[in-house]
Amino acid sequence: MKTKILTFLLVAFTTSMLVTNPLSSHGQSDPWTQQQLLAPAELAKVLNTPKSPQPIVFSIGMQAIIKGSVDIGPAMRADNLNTLKQKLNQLPKNSKIVVYCGCCPFSRCPNVRPAMALLKSMQFTNYKLLNLPQNIKVDWIDKGYPISE
Amino acid sequence: MRILILAVALLLVGSIMSPSTAQTNGLEKGNKSPEIRLPSVKGDTVTLSSLKGKLVLIDFWGTWCAPCVEEQSELAKLYHTYQHAHFTIGKGFEIYGVSLDSKKITWENFLVKHKINWVQVSDLKFWRSPVARTYNIQGLPFNVLVDDKGVILAKNLHGKDLEKEINKYLNK
Repeated sequence: MKTKILTFLLVAFTTSMLVTNPLSSHGQSDPWTQQQLLAPAELAKVLNTPKSPQPIVFSIGMQAIIKGSVDIGPAMRADNLNTLKQKLNQLPKNSKIVVYCGCCPFSRCPNVRPAMALLKSMQFTNYKLLNLPQNIKVDWIDKGYPISE
Repeated sequence: MRILILAVALLLVGSIMSPSTAQTNGLEKGNKSPEIRLPSVKGDTVTLSSLKGKLVLIDFWGTWCAPCVEEQSELAKLYHTYQHAHFTIGKGFEIYGVSLDSKKITWENFLVKHKINWVQVSDLKFWRSPVARTYNIQGLPFNVLVDDKGVILAKNLHGKDLEKEINKYLNK
């Protein structure tokens, strides 16, 4: 009986470790923390309340779909990443910044890592990654959140 | 009684929220595939219905989607093998590639570089393309196989499964 309970606990522990493992599918840890993920509903609420302080939203993917966002282009490309760097150079380190791509799930997105790594290396203190687990269509457009004209 | 109403309400909410129901809306096997009317690289509109009479694979993809890009070489093999084949439900096989790209140059360069010679269309609206809504696409790659009359035979088959399905309709 004791062995059974022990086996069960061991299996349960291993499973929970696998589920909550912060490593990405690439086997490397991502250059962001859970606290740096911003829920789409939260950003939509802010964008829909123009009187509240607005973050600077950078599109680091294929298209600047989110209303008011700045189109950088895919951050996987060195020239685009450099554009982002130049824009960031003009901002105070505590600026409220949000980046998003939304092509595909984070595990397959080539753009979110270079952008988040850059923000980290430039020592910004108040930046977030928009949490679009599937893509910009499912997690933003389909929800009726504000999009650019 | 109250508990019963509550249970029914919860079930209803559950079924509405379930993503699987959202994905299959109106796109079941046996349903007519919605018409697609989009421009090719040259700018002329190519409709899905213009391919009637053939077995057609509607391939939704994008140059930015790694698994889609990987799949293009497999599609090229399928196209080469079955292009002129006779099927029980159509004469010839065509691929109707719908790209969710956003920049024409990127899309065009890819097609040239990889010598893609089947039908390719795009409105270059990325995830805002109305076709993504019409076909209720939740992620890429995504495809739909339709018969000579545009009726859906299968959805989202890839690799061996896709070839097996196409092969099933060969006029042997």
